[in-house]
Amino acid sequence: MRIRTVIPVLFIMSGLLLGASASPERPLTQVRGTADKIIGILNEPALQGEAKRAERHRLIREELEQRFDWNAIARSCLGRHWPKLSREQQSQFQDLFKQFLERTYLDRVEPYYNQLDRIEYQGERILESNYASVKTVVMTKQKIDHPVEYRLQKSPNGEWQVYDVVIEGISLVKNYRTQFDEIITRSSFDGLLNDLRSKVASNNS
Amino acid sequence: MKTSTLEFFVGLFLAIGMACLAYLSIKVARKEFFSTRGYDVSAIFSNCSGLRPGSQVMIAGVEVGRVRGITLHDYEANVEMVIDPSVLLQKDAIASIKTKGLIGEKYIDVTPGGAGEKIQPGGVIHDTEPSMDIEGLISKYVHGNVASQANGSATAK
Repeated sequence: MRIRTVIPVLFIMSGLLLGASASPERPLTQVRGTADKIIGILNEPALQGEAKRAERHRLIREELEQRFDWNAIARSCLGRHWPKLSREQQSQFQDLFKQFLERTYLDRVEPYYNQLDRIEYQGERILESNYASVKTVVMTKQKIDHPVEYRLQKSPNGEWQVYDVVIEGISLVKNYRTQFDEIITRSSFDGLLNDLRSKVASNNS
Repeated sequence: MKTSTLEFFVGLFLAIGMACLAYLSIKVARKEFFSTRGYDVSAIFSNCSGLRPGSQVMIAGVEVGRVRGITLHDYEANVEMVIDPSVLLQKDAIASIKTKGLIGEKYIDVTPGGAGEKIQPGGVIHDTEPSMDIEGLISKYVHGNVASQANGSATAK
């Protein structure tokens, strides 16, 4: 008699607890969610082969769009040169740089996908309530582990979005910030845009 | 009379020698008696080997501050720095631990960012790059080779 009343109460309570813990989503859960979705796309039998490449990349890009704050990444990569640019130049650069990153990383990472064994999620750290870092280790089938750390910022709508990726202790943003700084001081901002344009075009073909 | 002037000069030389030695030992140990002025900023690194209190903080090769202390925080290194008050750091500035030359001492290199927001005194630099663990990277390649050879021979069969 007693047990019969206790069980529904427990049920409702566990539902409430789950709901409460799920609503302010943890950065780690969100990163894992995106990674799982992308792995799902790469494993999808209907999307295999060279013919389906464009379709596959489109779906992956959609997933990345949700998790990566491309505008923040672009702004951060230009570093001290960013505030000196006009609004038009800034948006021009953001568009081009996003294309450049997507192409380089999709084309570079995809061929290695068959070597992936698993991704281990080691933990998250939240700083000043709206910054976080998520530590993961990518294990290859050769049993080599590569530490990958995601740096995230909470967007106004409560989603955690990646603004930097640190692979083997090397930051993506730092790497491009140093390179772009060099190019801009050597030639000009337009020189940088031309360099990026030719890179995107060559990857396109 | 003559011996007393001689003794005076010997004493003087000894005193100068002692002063030099004291100066040198303070310089070498980088112990600063006068606390450096500026505001405090901290950063968490996954590895800060080679860094110590007194190490330099630089932007574009110019010293803008010093490391004040290093503590362990949740199995990571929490590095506290004192930054020159005339230097403002952007919220997206990146702090990396670098080596002077090939085997020189370690310092923190800060790459300025583009964000409008600045780091307040007592704030945190979120974006950091740890010291490069060259041995770790080499061993990864060594093990990688062994494994890929083993794989290669397995597929050859």
